[in-house]
Amino acid sequence: MNRFELLNLLQETIQQEFVVCNIGLPSQELYKINDRSNYFYMLGSMGLASSIGLGLSLTINKNVISIDGDGSVLMNMNTFATIGNRAPANYTLLIIDNGSYGSTGDQKTFTNERTSLKDIAAGSGCENVIECSGEETNINLKKALADKDNSYVIISKINSGNVPIKPIPLNAVTIRDRFRKKIGLVSYL
Amino acid sequence: MKISKKIITNLKSGGVDFFLSVPCKLLANMITILENDKDIYYSTIPREEEGMGICAGAYLGNKLPCIMMQNTGIGNSVNSIVSLLQLYQMPVVFLISYRGTPGEPVGAQGGMASVTEDILKTLRIPMLNCNNEEDLDKISTFTNHAKVIESPVAVMLNFNLMNND
Ligand SMILES: [Mg+2]
Repeated sequence: MNRFELLNLLQETIQQEFVVCNIGLPSQELYKINDRSNYFYMLGSMGLASSIGLGLSLTINKNVISIDGDGSVLMNMNTFATIGNRAPANYTLLIIDNGSYGSTGDQKTFTNERTSLKDIAAGSGCENVIECSGEETNINLKKALADKDNSYVIISKINSGNVPIKPIPLNAVTIRDRFRKKIGLVSYL
Repeated sequence: MKISKKIITNLKSGGVDFFLSVPCKLLANMITILENDKDIYYSTIPREEEGMGICAGAYLGNKLPCIMMQNTGIGNSVNSIVSLLQLYQMPVVFLISYRGTPGEPVGAQGGMASVTEDILKTLRIPMLNCNNEEDLDKISTFTNHAKVIESPVAVMLNFNLMNND
């Protein structure tokens, strides 16, 4: 299973959820599969998907899922400490770990060698850290979303590989405004 | 403590309701105030760039966030400021302890101090320099301005102002 196949499979679980999606191919693939206003596509700031989702989850009473990547989360490893100490129960971090920098040509990341994101998350204080295959991701994500008392970190191990795709043809403020409107807190939109 | 109280009061009256900090000794009194304030969210965080991401999310959830940090934190955060906060037009207040300004005992702080305002100017981030207590009266208007122009703004707290608190 590659990322595109996994994102397709996840649609049955995430369609109604607030999703912050990692920059580059993950967002482009998600957009291609099923563009929705409750998906916040990152167009910059590689590494911050987990952090943007965390900030949102601290401020609304709805489930928030950050879809991150192995290469991206390795850029912002302090995020695990913050999540381990501060993540509310409505927060789920889903790391799609394909062992490569997919958006830049599938160069290998350290999760291909000696680095375990699961151990980093657990050692940082995150509870409910689940490492699973792509096929098992939906069931674990459903469990995380249904659990109203605990936050989760799910590391989905899949193969590298991408599909031909174009940049997202939305401007950033459009993504921002329709996402905030969907949350329902913004009266002026 | 008097200066710190005034800064927090003015930030809150300017709409700020979500605070993060990467601590600095000049911010310590404000952190103590915020830790005991039940009306707002406050947390320490490990790194400023990460904080820019958390502030972006809090803004999406309709908060006006403030990240408290040394001016060195601007250096750690340039890409996230430009390609997240500015790209998506997100108001965030940077509350900056301006290390390396006159009064500073640590010579090595002079380097980042000498380039901080140039970096902020290059980024087109409005600055409010606070040198004395009267300057603090401008904070609430300034933070409201961040909301109106949908942009990060920087409140700079010079060393002697905070050191005398
Ligand atoms: Mg990857």
